[in-house]
Amino acid sequence: MAEEAGSLEERKVKTLSLVRGEEAKPPPGAPIQKFMVWPYLLAIEFLAAVICTIGLLIFSVLRNAPLKELANPDMTPNPSKAPWYLVGLQELLLHMDPFLAALLLPGLAFALLAIIPYIDFETKESGRWFASPNGVKITIFSAVYTTLILVAFILVDSQIGGVPGTAGGLRQLLKTWGVPDIVGSWILPVAIMLGLSALLILIVRLRWQANLREIVIALFTGFVVVYFLTALVGFLFRGPNQALFLPWDMPHGYDPLSEF
Amino acid sequence: MAFLPVPLRDLPREINRRIRNSRAWKSFFRSGYPDNRKDQAQIVIGNVFLHLHPVKVPTNAIRITYTYCLGGISFLLFLILTITGVLLMFYYVPSVERAYNDIQALSTTVAFGQLMRNLHRWAAHGMVLSVFLHMMRVFYTGAYKPPREFNWVIGVTLLFVTFGMSYTGYLLPWDQLGIWAITIGLGFAGYTPFFGEQAKQLIFGALEINQDSLLRFYVLHVIGLPLVAAVLMSVHFWRIRRDGGISTPL
Repeated sequence: MAEEAGSLEERKVKTLSLVRGEEAKPPPGAPIQKFMVWPYLLAIEFLAAVICTIGLLIFSVLRNAPLKELANPDMTPNPSKAPWYLVGLQELLLHMDPFLAALLLPGLAFALLAIIPYIDFETKESGRWFASPNGVKITIFSAVYTTLILVAFILVDSQIGGVPGTAGGLRQLLKTWGVPDIVGSWILPVAIMLGLSALLILIVRLRWQANLREIVIALFTGFVVVYFLTALVGFLFRGPNQALFLPWDMPHGYDPLSEF
Repeated sequence: MAFLPVPLRDLPREINRRIRNSRAWKSFFRSGYPDNRKDQAQIVIGNVFLHLHPVKVPTNAIRITYTYCLGGISFLLFLILTITGVLLMFYYVPSVERAYNDIQALSTTVAFGQLMRNLHRWAAHGMVLSVFLHMMRVFYTGAYKPPREFNWVIGVTLLFVTFGMSYTGYLLPWDQLGIWAITIGLGFAGYTPFFGEQAKQLIFGALEINQDSLLRFYVLHVIGLPLVAAVLMSVHFWRIRRDGGISTPL
């Protein structure tokens, strides 16, 4: 009798979850499949360590770490670049106020990264890649959206205004029109960044009815794409005077890869 | 042949048996090869290096496409960097007169010096990348959600410290690449409103990159930041266990 009631209760839970559109879950407390650390996990860890170490060793035999001439404080190389993981900041520096580009944005980026779990704390979707099928679509869309817009902006900014190829064309153009510099270096960049983020949120809300988690996915994807893309452009495509060139077609025999 | 305790063909097995039954061996290895569940659990609990792990883990922990081993790889690279870094320290003096020559000597006069330097350089780039990718993995799998919020914060801090360790190392060869890359950072610090000069002094030890900056970056690189990273990593690993192990679908 008691057993029957239990199964009835279970069926009720199952039916309810179906009605709510949720996946039927095993009842709480049900055993989940577990594996012994020795040997299953340790074998994987050991293999990963061996493969990485051998890969690193082979790479180190094939390619030497760069060493340029002795440091000379009186001779600035053109271009001189930050290490690849910070060169994106140098890219930002070309398009906006230096305080905004070099300190405010990276500081804000770290702060926003750190507080993600305090904004999105719904645990329902944890432990699963991209949370949902929508999450995958939103990630792909955000990556394509950010890539296209960023590349377009970098190209446009290098073509208009002063000398073609040099960055910050938009700022120079505004200056020649007599617009105060604060518009080109602060108001416009901030408006563009906020506006494009808001547009991204709007699109994923309307197209996929994105929930909070999926909106955070869209914004995080945008951040990651900006980080890697600006690093790539700055590292490979910026030549003397920070002008845009193809990596294999740099003037004065400058080879960006020799600095890696 | 009488002086042998066993026939010749049984000798290897006999030597093996005696070694394994010796006091020294038994003091070192508490049990034999763990081929049963009890011993396998015992060794994971009892071994200082393995006890980071629980005895059993859920499916996600052994699914390579869930973690891609990125956190572990970051830690492995940190260890490789520590070992190669210690070896490099034997041959390097952080002075503007000597630093560049010391680095050159690594490729000319020091045995395996170039290889050690290459390993250190490429592992450093690799660690920045793997830590960043690890952050992406944790984000996209939603592994930062409660109760793991604070461990995510520690992770973000570790990313920052990783940048710092790599960046301070960039100056040490004292070549044109390093000094001018660091000069760009000096410029960044100078954009601090009102306190530009103080920020430069604090981080770089000077208003332009010189001997003081080299010493400051050296000390941060070889002891200051690695110490911070080691403490944060201990907390990071400890909290994985305290927060219920690897994240799993609920």
